[in-house]
Amino acid sequence: MKTDAQSLSGASGTHAVSVEGVTFTYHDGGRPALRSVSLVQNAGEMIGVMGASGAGKSTLAKCLNRIVPEFEDGDFHGAILIAGESLEHLRVCDVAPKVGMVFQDFESQLFSTNVAHEVAFAMEQVGMDRAEMDRRILPALEAVGLRGFEHRDPMSLSGGEKQRLAIASVLALRPSVIVLDEPTTDLDPEGRAEVFALIRKLREQGLSLIVIEHESEELRAADRIVVLREGEIAADGPPSEVFARTGLLTECGVRPPGLGHALELLGIEAQPKSVDQAYEAIARAYPRVVTTGSDGGHGGPPHLLNARSSMPEEPKAAGDTKIGPSFIGIENLSYSYVGGPRVLDSVDLKVEVGEFLAIVGQNGSGKTTLAKHIVGLLVPATGRITIDGKDRSRMRPAETAREVAYVFQNPDHQIFAATVDDEVAFGPRNFGLAEDEIRRRCDEALEAVGLQNERQSDPFLLSKGERQRLAVASVLVLRPRMLILDEPTTGLDHREQLRMMALVRDLNRSGIAIVIITHTPWLVAEYARRVVLMRKGAKIFDGGVREFFMQDDLLRSSSFRAPEITELSRRFGTLALTTGEFVEWVKGRA
Amino acid sequence: MPIYLYIDRGTFVHRLHPTVKVFSLFVMFWSVYWVDNPIALLPIGLVMLWIAQLTDSWPNFYRLRWLFAILVFTTTIAWMVFYRRGAVLVNIPVFHVSRLSLVFGLGRGIKLAELLAASVLFLSTTKIEEFTYGLQRMRVPYRVSFAISLSFRLVPLFIDSAVTIVDAQRLRGYDFNQGGPLERVRRYVPVVIPVFMGALRKANNMAMALEARGFGFSHEPTTFIEYPVTAADIIAFAFLIGLGASYFMLYWTGLGGIGPLK
Repeated sequence: MKTDAQSLSGASGTHAVSVEGVTFTYHDGGRPALRSVSLVQNAGEMIGVMGASGAGKSTLAKCLNRIVPEFEDGDFHGAILIAGESLEHLRVCDVAPKVGMVFQDFESQLFSTNVAHEVAFAMEQVGMDRAEMDRRILPALEAVGLRGFEHRDPMSLSGGEKQRLAIASVLALRPSVIVLDEPTTDLDPEGRAEVFALIRKLREQGLSLIVIEHESEELRAADRIVVLREGEIAADGPPSEVFARTGLLTECGVRPPGLGHALELLGIEAQPKSVDQAYEAIARAYPRVVTTGSDGGHGGPPHLLNARSSMPEEPKAAGDTKIGPSFIGIENLSYSYVGGPRVLDSVDLKVEVGEFLAIVGQNGSGKTTLAKHIVGLLVPATGRITIDGKDRSRMRPAETAREVAYVFQNPDHQIFAATVDDEVAFGPRNFGLAEDEIRRRCDEALEAVGLQNERQSDPFLLSKGERQRLAVASVLVLRPRMLILDEPTTGLDHREQLRMMALVRDLNRSGIAIVIITHTPWLVAEYARRVVLMRKGAKIFDGGVREFFMQDDLLRSSSFRAPEITELSRRFGTLALTTGEFVEWVKGRA
Repeated sequence: MPIYLYIDRGTFVHRLHPTVKVFSLFVMFWSVYWVDNPIALLPIGLVMLWIAQLTDSWPNFYRLRWLFAILVFTTTIAWMVFYRRGAVLVNIPVFHVSRLSLVFGLGRGIKLAELLAASVLFLSTTKIEEFTYGLQRMRVPYRVSFAISLSFRLVPLFIDSAVTIVDAQRLRGYDFNQGGPLERVRRYVPVVIPVFMGALRKANNMAMALEARGFGFSHEPTTFIEYPVTAADIIAFAFLIGLGASYFMLYWTGLGGIGPLK
């Protein structure tokens, strides 16, 4: 039985994809989303597409299977050819056997109640006979590592498994090209690793892939990187070339790979593909660093004490806020949803005034459940929670909101008002504050999040990053002493992520305790001062950020990776949390 | 907590042909429709309880226990306001508490509860694909049958999203329980708008994903799963015909109404 992805692909011809002078303007959009974009993909090539939100990445992806302009209405010029055949006059469903598309929202692309049937879905739609479907299902599941899951309910799978299932159902049709539009945005680190391992495998097996992604580290294996800026191609070339242009990447809202950026700041001309390569390049250029600080580069992680002796002091990254007395106290907290297993198991936790804490852990580890207990959305089965010494069980959620505010992962879960101003004023109005006080607070909150010029705008027309900041403003207006943010940067491009986190850091510096729930290692490294790691409802680590990133076994078993720059610094016997910190350390010893 | 009602078991009800399952839902609705008397509603209620036991559907009934209780209770109480017949047993302002209004109200409450129970049983034992297939076999066009079955799949997603939205607004100090009944309904605007916007976005994403998977390529898509007709299907079909006919007879003869209780 054929099981590899090559056998699943119907790729043929030299050019898998030709995009010829494509310009597209959405019918309700002012400027073109794509402007004269021309692009050729050879068969078996993997192209990574990057750029800020609104740069045209998804529009380009949708052009490849006719969602644009067939489904998304607008003004389309140019031509798209798949394996030499023009897509003009074809419907989206006609293109499905040629171009497979995997979307970011995995729950919106699964329609069946069993894995095998999900894989069969697209084949049923194109009228394939049952025997052929039978022949294709197992190889497709084998290719994505889901063999043996045939009878499982897709909704019972993890995020990473769901996304792999979506890829399997696309593979079963044997398209010549697969387009993946930010396939890992909503996944935890384990899910991301699973999906990118699969993408690398498919790439090695010769499938033509187009992958839209924000994280540059994940696209190093690509043959080419295309960077879009305001609908135009700003860069197109091999990763080693494109990733070396850090200025351009930053300008285009793309986070340059940490390793390459570090080497550039150290004046080394190289674009490393791995920590090993970066280590060797630095060791060659700065031999004294190796002899003074390193364990030799290949001897594994430094001993904690040795590393501590040469690493900067904590706290470091989040500024110089003074940490005060205990604000939140959690003792022996346990909880189970009705009929389910324990999702929190005897958790003890204290959060101090002015602290910046990151809670990390895989999906289902209990992070959000813990946060919901703090704000009073859930009642503990056992245990006690205090807020500033007061028993939380005696406070209503609305009362708690004035002490601790919670920003949900999806800002659209709260936005409803006609204007930004009304949205922010909603909270204080519920508390019956006087109108002039509400006005003062709204001004203050909107100023803090940088939306003071959008007061009369329709919240639904703001960008995702702006809506996320609006959600922060709408709870900030209650002047809480602590802010809990659940995945505050999910779905934002690098520029928006930086803006969001700068806001959070400023709030922390003004004295507000911050708790972020996140899957993103560099956010933890650059902003947090303390980390709590959750696993299966239990707190398994609680300590400083540097100490956290030295716990190799814990990190590995929790599928949480240190940022590459941190890994690199550890090879030299120190522990840097940011590129700047590492470069400073190297230069100080050179 | 699972957000879908389907419970994967290998019982003979689960294995019935999709057309028989869709037909059984129709017959349950049909039977309940024709009678008002709580005693007449009892046999079909017992049949449903038996099927629930047989199919291990109790977890879904347990999840919806409050909905069942509210349906029966509020309907019974409401009809004591509007159904003003029979000798008054107890004098309570606004309410007309008579044996007749109690029986009528209770009958209406049980009726609604049985309609809900029939739906719960159907969704506990029928996969979405079977629902689509069953409707198709009953000559409903594929696009329509798929849309109907998909809407069942979406309801729990929207409920899930509504719960999160209620939480988000409560945390901004919003009290959903202020004011009279109309004011309380109006106070759900901050929930309805985000749910509606989310539903539109979700529907758009789903439609794109569906077309990208070839939905619409063929007017009559093939089916991966075979649904052979077995002896159990024929027996079940005959039983359902008998059940539907019996309930129509109860209506026809007047035994299903509350007349004899007057």
